[in-house]
Amino acid sequence: MKYKQQTKLPSPPVHRTGPIPQEEDVRALLAKGKTKPAVELAREIHKRCGGPESEALLVDAYAARIRSLLKTGLKEEAKALFELVRKRYRSAAARFADVGVLVSASSGNLEELLRPLNDPALLPEIRRAIEEVIKSQVCDLSALAECPSLTADHPLRTAAAALLGAFAAVTVGPVEQSALVLPEVSHRGPLASWKILVRAIAYFFEQDDAASERCLGIIDPDSPPARLIPALRTMLRASTDKRLTPAAESLVSQVCGSKVSFRRALQALDAALEARVQEKILTEIQRAIAACDLACPELLERLRQHISVRALQLDLPTRKVRAALGGASLKNAYFWRLYARSVESSREPIEPLICAQWEQFRRHAVAEGWFREKSPEAAALYLHMAERLLELPGDLLERLSSKLAEHFSGFQAFYEDQPPLIQEVEAKYKKVDFYFLSPSHLFERACTMDPHREAFEQWLNWARQESDGRAADYVAECWHRALPLNSQPLLYLMESAEKRGALNRASAFLAQAQKLDAVNAEVRRAALRLLVAQTGRHLRQSKPHLVERDVAALEALPQAQLADRPAFVVALRWASAVIGGDAELASRFFGQIGRLLGSSAAASLLCENAGAFGGLARADFDRHVPQVSLDPPESLVAATARVCVLGDDVGVPFTIPTAWHARLWQELANAHGKLESRQVEMLGKAALRTNQKELAYAASAAGLELGADQEARFLLLRARALPEWEFDRREDCIAATVELGRRRRDMSIINEAMELRRGRRNRMSSFFDWLDLENWNEFSMTTEQIHAVLQREKHARAFPKDRHARFHVPFRETVFLDDDELENDDEPSALDDTNQLVPEMGQPRGKRPKRVHRDLPGQGDLF
Amino acid sequence: MKTNRQADIQLHEDPRVILGVPLDAGDERIRDAYLQKVKEHPPDREPAEFERIRDAYEVLRDPRRRARHMFLSADPQAALVSLLPASSQERKFTGPDAWLAVLREK
Repeated sequence: MKYKQQTKLPSPPVHRTGPIPQEEDVRALLAKGKTKPAVELAREIHKRCGGPESEALLVDAYAARIRSLLKTGLKEEAKALFELVRKRYRSAAARFADVGVLVSASSGNLEELLRPLNDPALLPEIRRAIEEVIKSQVCDLSALAECPSLTADHPLRTAAAALLGAFAAVTVGPVEQSALVLPEVSHRGPLASWKILVRAIAYFFEQDDAASERCLGIIDPDSPPARLIPALRTMLRASTDKRLTPAAESLVSQVCGSKVSFRRALQALDAALEARVQEKILTEIQRAIAACDLACPELLERLRQHISVRALQLDLPTRKVRAALGGASLKNAYFWRLYARSVESSREPIEPLICAQWEQFRRHAVAEGWFREKSPEAAALYLHMAERLLELPGDLLERLSSKLAEHFSGFQAFYEDQPPLIQEVEAKYKKVDFYFLSPSHLFERACTMDPHREAFEQWLNWARQESDGRAADYVAECWHRALPLNSQPLLYLMESAEKRGALNRASAFLAQAQKLDAVNAEVRRAALRLLVAQTGRHLRQSKPHLVERDVAALEALPQAQLADRPAFVVALRWASAVIGGDAELASRFFGQIGRLLGSSAAASLLCENAGAFGGLARADFDRHVPQVSLDPPESLVAATARVCVLGDDVGVPFTIPTAWHARLWQELANAHGKLESRQVEMLGKAALRTNQKELAYAASAAGLELGADQEARFLLLRARALPEWEFDRREDCIAATVELGRRRRDMSIINEAMELRRGRRNRMSSFFDWLDLENWNEFSMTTEQIHAVLQREKHARAFPKDRHARFHVPFRETVFLDDDELENDDEPSALDDTNQLVPEMGQPRGKRPKRVHRDLPGQGDLF
Repeated sequence: MKTNRQADIQLHEDPRVILGVPLDAGDERIRDAYLQKVKEHPPDREPAEFERIRDAYEVLRDPRRRARHMFLSADPQAALVSLLPASSQERKFTGPDAWLAVLREK
């Protein structure tokens, strides 16, 4: 409307030369493809101006209009307009050269189109226009090769003939590389895209997919050869969203058989499963099954099983899925393995149920000959099941297991419509044995079938944490019986006997361990610790003569001469002297300790801890140890840290006087690089023993400054030092510790972190408190995530005081999504079978909103 | 690079299929199959295939690793299209007509 108003401006005709008014408007309209209003405006202008410039402008507008008509298929209208304009305007002949070519080409008369090419004086723009038409429109090479209007030796004809021959050759059989050179076809000529297409096809049959794809990438997308690109890409297995034309479908089917259709059906099903639209999924399942039946019938059963498991994951209605599959999938070992793995990787795994699924797998795998009933493979499976159960807090595992045992009667629902062979396997186990709910039973089976150190270690660690000492002793005894050359069970039995006060028995175990491997560092350390424990016991029993004997034995140990250990031995003598009431001797020993440690504060702290270890009363300590100034010339923190390391060394848990707290905290804040990492760590651990969390926190801050090698240890110390309510921060610190430990292959730090987390989880009060710890069993962190946790903790040097003024964003955020995108169905879901088995586990979870995780700063997958 | 290959094996390829050994094959049989495959695909001539074979053997040679692989290699989340073996792609020479028909189709 706007341009029409503009064209109706009344102006008298004026013949003039020079710039034409409103020419830019016409050009702008043409540039936008608005050819009709451009012609109208140009006519108005020409009516007013009437000069050669305005006529040229009008002819240009007509040319654009004719091209536009040709493009939209209005060939007759284009031709009529072309004739009209050519007759009316003298300048049209020259300006219309290329339009004339297009009009000729539109009639489909190749001869007429190409004839001008025989003219040596042909205008270059007309030649270019003809070549452009050949390039973009000619799809019949044989017509071009035999075109009678060109001479037989015309380069276009020879090029087309060469291409035709090469095209036939590459589609009939393998060709030599030389056949693809095609010197007759110029790479700048109108048939260049054909030459590339021939090469793409040749490479395709040579299985050189990369080369073929490269060729496809450089074919002119507007040229006829480009019509083969979607079909070729489909055959090259590159995904294409384009629906193929019938001829292309036929080509794909002829060249690649039905497997390409099957592949495409699977891709469509994958996309539908990803989109989670029920109707679409069911339709694509049917298509995929039909395509599989046709192309790869041998894969049909496996495909059914995979689809079944995916349907169970998505909670799709069983009957509809089964109908789409054309029957129930086979519930053999392959299915149960897949199903168990699927539930394991779900966001809310129910470990006892997973173990029940693994048990189903085990039964079928044994029946199908995957492995023998008592074999290393079966042992590995038992270990895996036990590991799954260990993910749960002990009391929760107990509750869930008893509920499962009460309600669970097997997986009968899964065995409907199964062949007799499968049903026989299930029928063989009539009585349900819930051994798989007991880590102890699982470990025992695993260790009996395939006794090895790692399995026993896991079993022993579990028994130490979850059960009383007798269970752990039993494990150690089993270990010792199965692997008598391992010293670890003997060392554990020694430690256990020592804890019970059975020192003679402990000594006997130690002697056995020494016989096996006397130079083993662990054994040597155990010998030292046992003697120290024995001395402590005799001190507490006030038996100085026995203490004397113990200390003499200690001094005889070569390992007692290392580091600051001689100072500890003297401290034991000091305690003995105090108990014996020999003040002078005690004073002499105290002085000796001060000299050995180079600090009276260190001597005082060591004597205090040695005294406590030997059962000395506080008054005795005060009487025999001079008051230590809290403002000594030497560093108090260095002295304290040194003594803490010594305590760890001899196996005595030292503590730090609370009166030292402020001074130590202050010095720690300024101790940049003055302390070694072990000293800082032991100082922090000693502080935690008397619940001095602020001091431990300051130690973790000092430790985190020490550099990359020690970051895991001090993140763990930070996790321990944080107040109880700093839940998220602690979770992050533990997860980052585990990941750093993994990367540095430091199993001890991983175990410590796992124990800390497990210990904390055991304090959870209810099932849902525990469930709230989304992703608690997921420790993996990316490098960026670890870096973010480290940076946050390094910057947070102040101990968190105010519960409500939390300064940090939890590293893992939890967001809620509703389930609208999953369609509801009145039918029982495929997972209902499972949920009904454990009503108390299944029902409340159904009411809970879907929870998903988002990793900061980028958003992760929602499901 | 090696880690990626191992991950590939764990997720998509059954090492038993690569070495051509049945489920119940023991240490000796697995070793024999490995040596045979190495003979067929020596590292100097087919380094990529040799690496694939070696990775498969690494998974199977240790009984415990072999057993764990048996349980944990199943990937229920894997795209269904990955069930199709790579070798299932056949390419038949059909002559030019079917190809030219696509070009003529508008």
